Amino acid sequence: MIILQTLGLILWLLIVPFCMGLLPLPLLGKKDRTPGVALIAGYILLFTLLELVGIPVVLLVVYNGFTAFKWWFTPVLLLCVALGVFFALKAKKSGQTWNFGGLSGWKAISLEEKLVFVLFLLLVGFQMYMAFTRASFDGDDAYYGVQAVVAQQIDTLYRINPYTGRSAPLDVRHALALFPIWEAFVGSMSNVHATIVSHSIVPLVLIPLTYILYYQIGKILLKKRKDLLPMFMVVIALWQMFGNISIYTTETFFLTRTWQGKSFAGNFIIPAVLWIFLNLFAGDDEQEKSTAQGGFWILLTCLNLAGGASSSLAILLSCLMTVGLAVLFAIRERKPGILIKACFSCVPGGLYVLLYLALTHGIIVL
Amino acid sequence: MFGIFMESLVIFKLYTGLRLLLALTLLSWIYLLVKEKDGRVRLLLVYAPMIVVLLFLFPISRKVFVAAGLDGETYYRILWTIPMGMITCYGACKFFAGHKRIGLVVTSALVILCGSYVYQSSYISKAENLYHIPDTVIKICDRISPEDSDTRVSAVMPPELIHFVRQYDARINMPYGREMLVARWDYYNAVYEAMEKPEIVDMEALLEATRTEYCQYIVMTQDRKTDVDPESCGLVLIDVIDGYRIYEDPVTVSVVEQWQEYYEDEE
Repeated sequence: MIILQTLGLILWLLIVPFCMGLLPLPLLGKKDRTPGVALIAGYILLFTLLELVGIPVVLLVVYNGFTAFKWWFTPVLLLCVALGVFFALKAKKSGQTWNFGGLSGWKAISLEEKLVFVLFLLLVGFQMYMAFTRASFDGDDAYYGVQAVVAQQIDTLYRINPYTGRSAPLDVRHALALFPIWEAFVGSMSNVHATIVSHSIVPLVLIPLTYILYYQIGKILLKKRKDLLPMFMVVIALWQMFGNISIYTTETFFLTRTWQGKSFAGNFIIPAVLWIFLNLFAGDDEQEKSTAQGGFWILLTCLNLAGGASSSLAILLSCLMTVGLAVLFAIRERKPGILIKACFSCVPGGLYVLLYLALTHGIIVL
Repeated sequence: MFGIFMESLVIFKLYTGLRLLLALTLLSWIYLLVKEKDGRVRLLLVYAPMIVVLLFLFPISRKVFVAAGLDGETYYRILWTIPMGMITCYGACKFFAGHKRIGLVVTSALVILCGSYVYQSSYISKAENLYHIPDTVIKICDRISPEDSDTRVSAVMPPELIHFVRQYDARINMPYGREMLVARWDYYNAVYEAMEKPEIVDMEALLEATRTEYCQYIVMTQDRKTDVDPESCGLVLIDVIDGYRIYEDPVTVSVVEQWQEYYEDEE
């Protein structure tokens, strides 16, 4: 039983997002066709689809909403997995280069860099160990955590007061943020209780995923001094562990509320906006940068909707960052087209915000 | 306007905890402002964060934020768009580029000394199980959980267990939950008033409230004082788990069973 559950968790938390991430990879530059970028892109796509499929179900299906959600979401995910694998194989056949070699980069670095990198891996391992063996109390779990358990056990989405269990009108303030429903989905497909998924399992994936993202950011920032990358990663890992300077920082959320959507917003969605902008404008090879731009604009468009899984504020922040940074780059590069592309990338997120406002202001009543 | 500015300033101070980690970021930021040659990186890590801070403190921003229907208490999350860690670590890497070993040791030491260790938090404890909720809650929930997955039970729980009960079993309803424990939300609940407000629980008042809410179970700590023995009021002590007494109310159980039979017949 435990073996089947573990395999289920590996399938839905690693293999499925990874294969989905293969889908946009042919559109990215050669240097970005790596397993790490595939996983990041996969999670961006996964949460985009979570919102696209989940929101209509939450709004329109009153009874057995979770069953209906699974009924739609599972085939959509599997279709994306199949397409991802298909396009990856096709791209490889057509001679596209993929950096899936594994240890080739490792062999190229000096012993000192290797040691520093091992230190970084030890720090990440320690954080994962602590996430698994330490319980972090947070009152918000009585709301968000219970939403996942309600979905799994009562088969209802956001129509039960999580504090008391009484039936309630649709909770429009939170109903569009489906992060807990994703946790319930993973638990349900793996036959694991949603609270175990969120408290014990999800951090084991989201902590490394965040560092993969920081690694990609570091690679661009230190493109001329790659030997500094291990140091960058060690200091970032320490920064996360010692960034608990108040209860409000993303670092505190990262290691004490890893499983909550708001932590995902601060530690994945927002850094991912920066990662995409670095790729769009600060890459090393001008020719490669221009060919890869289309792929990154698509990813940014998805990201600006995927943030909605965390919270409505996450979408607002990622869209504002997108437009704000686009204004700055449009001025710097003297290319107004950047701003137009950025505005287009905010359309799905903008529609989400409009829907949120319509629901919370009673313009749409369900 | 000045008042709003001051409020935003206080939020900023609370966010940073006025710890030296902020000074490290500031030093790195100044270093990058002076030394960073790549204009695009400057834009992302130097100019954009400065603009965010200015916008954050600008009173109109906060007004717009609240007018958009967003919770004013989450205004601090605007500061999440400033990549403090990235600025500091990148700045340190650039500063110590010629002395990597010293740089790693000094930067690591500074982060450790200027920061606050996250696992020192009083909210973090050794997990008792994979759910990361107390074992006691699991034992109590397993004791009162309905056998039939389609039915629900309702139980009054002591405040220290309230957060966890429904994280384990959503088929256990409660007359009140976390909303009664957050003082500033200022909710009213008759069962809460009877159960938690008085020093000595008035059993007659409590039962009147719990029966109105159809609570089959009342869970209280062994040292919780009551004006009369709960069993003398008709409650049945079904178990004592880790210092918590679990009472069943036969009157409510019977009423709820009658409903269930009625609905089963209807079906």
